[in-house]
Formats: sequence, structure tokens, C-alpha cells
Amino acid sequence: MNFIKRFFTGMKQDVEPEAPVMVEEVEKSIEVPEPEPETEPETETNFPAVRSVLQIPAISTGVFPKDSAEVLIKAQPSTTGDQCLFTVNRPLMKGYSWYFPDFESAVESSLAEALFCLDDVETVLVCESTVTVTRKDKTLVDWVPLAKEVGPAIRNALGTGEGLIAEKIVSNLPSEEEIREGIQKVIDTEVNPGVAGHGGNISLLAIKGNSVTIQMGGGCQGCSAADLTLKQGIHTSFRKAVPRVGAIFDETDHTAGLNPYFS
Amino acid sequence: MPRVNTFKVKVQTGPQGMSEPVHFNFNNHKLPFENATGSAEPGEVFEGSFDVNSFAHSLTLVGPESGKWEIEKITIEYDCENEKPYTVHFGAITLDETTEVNIWQDPPILAFDV
Repeated sequence: MNFIKRFFTGMKQDVEPEAPVMVEEVEKSIEVPEPEPETEPETETNFPAVRSVLQIPAISTGVFPKDSAEVLIKAQPSTTGDQCLFTVNRPLMKGYSWYFPDFESAVESSLAEALFCLDDVETVLVCESTVTVTRKDKTLVDWVPLAKEVGPAIRNALGTGEGLIAEKIVSNLPSEEEIREGIQKVIDTEVNPGVAGHGGNISLLAIKGNSVTIQMGGGCQGCSAADLTLKQGIHTSFRKAVPRVGAIFDETDHTAGLNPYFS
Repeated sequence: MPRVNTFKVKVQTGPQGMSEPVHFNFNNHKLPFENATGSAEPGEVFEGSFDVNSFAHSLTLVGPESGKWEIEKITIEYDCENEKPYTVHFGAITLDETTEVNIWQDPPILAFDV
């Protein structure tokens, strides 16, 4: 040790005269270690309690005044601007929903026919008292001009007194069991194996009429690409395998957790 | 995720309350309310506000350190940057030393009559 001390002292002296003192101090601390003061073991009370965050739904106030004789329609574009939800103050398709992918599918359904007559309407989804419209021109995000045309079209269709939805659709609506079996099969054989590569999973939460509610879990929950996966992947798979499926809702709380995608 | 200027909270306590000061958790920072009036005692109404001036990632109402706090109704008035002030109502919930409740709600999506 003395040799090492001299060696380092000799080297350091040219540059830094204080160095030997430091070495001495280090040597001392190695040879005579000071006894560390005993510390009391930390108890659980030293840490803040980890609380679980409860979620309760906000109480919604009515969209429309009650018992209005007038047909009232509210337009609500989605945050991504790819679709617009129109809420009407009367039922359009009680208990069920129907997806019209193109003009041909709207034959004899006066509501969808009226909407497809508008230039920019691409698809129409009728669900209970709502209509969801997507547009052909994906570069436009301002829905006001088109919505101002959709509103009167819905109002006119309601005013004609004709069947809003074709009789052949209404009389052949599928049972909940039929929808459940078909959708569960697609989830198990096609969707979940696909999203598993990203650590995600999709589960079927509920069926109401022919409307489906799903939940995205694992890596899908909170993922920035979840909307794309839902609309371009899951919707397409569901509609291809079960053509009579109506609305597809996603009940996932993508904001839950501190860092859901990476957890 | 908007920048929150201020928010005001009004909490109606049910049959079981707490005598502790009411705290909230903003982006995982536990803080007491400013301009607090009333209390969280049984049947009482607590009102408080806070000048946040920051972006909201999470906002929760924190449960008591001991015992239970039965809340009947929560009303929150949000004032966010570049948004119209909006109010959110939540229903009944019971909090304790292990829980907090989410009271953050994004500004409502623009809707218009057609």
C-alpha cells in the first residue's frame, strides 16, 4: 500500500500538490472504517399511500328541450374530423343500427338514399336516434357546409312518412346471439392474433340489437394508433365476417393509467 | 389536453363526511384548495378553487386519510385556454384512504344545430 501511495504521490506531485492528502484520506478510510450509525428500518408510513383512481361517468344534461314538436338535429364532428354525428330528437331505428357502405345498399331506405344524394357523403350509419356520416373528401375538416346539407336531408326524409329503413332490412335483422357468435369468432381467429404482435387484445363487452361494444386492452389501450386499428382494422374485419353488424362502439378509456401504452 | 386557467369545485357531502381539509391531485401533485369555504362534514357543501395555469393530464379529488367520505354530488366549473368555460357534474361516490376520484373531463366537442 505504501508503494502505491508513493507511486501515486510521485505522479500527482507535478500536477496537483494536494493529491497526497487525498490519498492519505482514502487510505485511512479503508483501513479504519467508521462504524455506520444504525438507521431504523423504514416503516410503511414513510411512503405516501398509493391510491386507486375511481372513474364515475359525468351526468349528462339533455341535448334537446323536452317534448319539442319540431325536428331538432345537432351535428357533432369527431375530434379527428373523419366523421360527423347527427343526433335527432326522435327515433330513427329503434333498438337497432344499420351501416350503409354505399349508395347501392341504400335502396328503399329513404333516409340513407337522401343522404347519399349529397355529393360528399361516403358512408352512413343509422343507430337509434343518430346518424353518423363519413365524407369522401378526407382533406376537408370543416363539417359545417356538409352538415348544413345533411340536417335538412334528414328532416325531409322524416317528413315524407316513408320507411326510413328498407323493409327487407328491418324484417331480416339478426339476433343478438348470431351477432355475438360471429363477432367473437372474428376476434378470436383474426383480430386478436393480429394485435397480439403489439401486446394488445380486443374483448367483446356487449351486444345490443346488432350493435357491438368492444374494449381494447394491453398495448392497444392508450395507444396513439388505436383509432386507426379500430376503424381500418377491426371495423373492416367485423363487417366482412358479419355483414349485418350495425354500430361498433369502443368503450376503452384510453386515458386511464399513468402511461398505459408502455406499462 | 387544454391548458387549465382555473377550476372551481362544489362538493355536496352525504351522511358520512370528513373533518380533514379537502385536497385534489393535479398531475400527481397533491394540493389543498384555495378560497375554500364550507366543509366536507356530513350534509355540508364544500367549495374551493385553484388557479392552475398548466396543462391537465390528470385531476382527481383525494379521499380522506382515514374513514370514509360519502359524496352526493360534485360540480366542477372549468376555465381553459381557448375554450368556453364549461361545467361538469358527477354523481355519488364514496372515497376512503385508498381512493381518489377522477374529476377531469375534456372540454365538450363542438356541436351545432343544423
